[in-house]
Amino acid sequence: MRSGNQLPKKKKKVKYYTSSACCQLYFRLEGEMAARLLLRSSIRAATTCRAAPVPILTRGMAAGGIPTDEEQATGLEKIVMKAAQQGADPYSMLKPKEYAGSKADPHLVPSITTKRIVGCVCEEDNTAVVWFWLHQGEAQRCPSCGSHYKLVPHELPH
Amino acid sequence: MAHQAHAYHMVDPSPWPLTGAIAALLLTSGTAVWFHFHSLTLLTMGNILLLLTMYQWWRDIIREGTFQGHHTPPVQKGLRYGMILFITSEVFFFLGFFWAFYHSSLAPTPELGGCWPPTGIITLDPFEVPLLNTAVLLASGVTVTWAHHSIMEGERKQAIQSLTLTILLGFYFTFLQGMEYYEAPFTIADGVYGSTFFVATGFHGLHVIIGSTFLAVCLLRQVQYHFTSEHHFGFEAAAWYWHFVDVVWLFLYVSIYWWGS
Repeated sequence: MRSGNQLPKKKKKVKYYTSSACCQLYFRLEGEMAARLLLRSSIRAATTCRAAPVPILTRGMAAGGIPTDEEQATGLEKIVMKAAQQGADPYSMLKPKEYAGSKADPHLVPSITTKRIVGCVCEEDNTAVVWFWLHQGEAQRCPSCGSHYKLVPHELPH
Repeated sequence: MAHQAHAYHMVDPSPWPLTGAIAALLLTSGTAVWFHFHSLTLLTMGNILLLLTMYQWWRDIIREGTFQGHHTPPVQKGLRYGMILFITSEVFFFLGFFWAFYHSSLAPTPELGGCWPPTGIITLDPFEVPLLNTAVLLASGVTVTWAHHSIMEGERKQAIQSLTLTILLGFYFTFLQGMEYYEAPFTIADGVYGSTFFVATGFHGLHVIIGSTFLAVCLLRQVQYHFTSEHHFGFEAAAWYWHFVDVVWLFLYVSIYWWGS
């Protein structure tokens, strides 16, 4: 059954407005041809960037007047943001990655020095955590459950 | 820059907790001295020190977060928890006064005439100024939400307008309540009715003033470009506090003004 004129659902209204506002600026500055190209690519970017982790550079100050984190974040907040955009977690904010713990797929433990303390919860819900120092070099095994752990060097962003 | 391997904020040493504690001492002792010896010196000193402490402490937090970038995601999460816990503690504060009100009004004693409102008390008509006050606060809840969405969507002009409107509505509420207090046919000394009414609504009014001040600071910061469309927790905290103040009013209105009349 036809339901008449149905507008396509615009999920992220924000990005749509911002990119078209940007485009209006460009129309005046760079001429129609370049502007049409930009409009096409920004629409593509606006519709595809929902999936991508890297946000398109919304010109916050040029568009609505409120800056974005991309423009204004500073210090450690900016370092964390930039690293997250690259998929990195230098400050261990997220849960450690999951590994099998076998000899072929040991738990990789990032460290800024040559050793780091590891706490192994051998089985889920165990209340006694097995603590031990993990040293640089060959993988070590948990003294209780035998899972393999390997220290990997890790650089702090400067 | 040799520094931490974690994303938390280890705050630099600061004198403001000490000045705050001294202010608390001066305020408490000053109040006692005022009651017994009629001198306002200690109390005034305490108030000045309190205002200086609040101004400088919060100014330092803004410097650390907005200008130095110390408010990483885990730090912001901690600030959120902190604000939620604080508001929860305030909820319990008001719960006490509602307890006092219901204790007195559900089983009115013979001294009151065995009825509620007590004999001789002329209550305020809940459908006059109190109803207007309810509308004013509900509207301010809408405008503060409008302001939040404006910030998230990068609309500077609208954010400033809606935030200003919210603050004006807050002032309007305070003005109307002030008028009501002046014109009320009963005082705080009029038995348990007066006590419960003015202590509960009085503390609420104080919280409206605090909330309006918090929002005004947010307006100043918004004008000076502190907030980004993703990171504006100071504003969110003010908005949460404002909604809390609104909800407390709704309970006050229904319990004391309407049911209690």
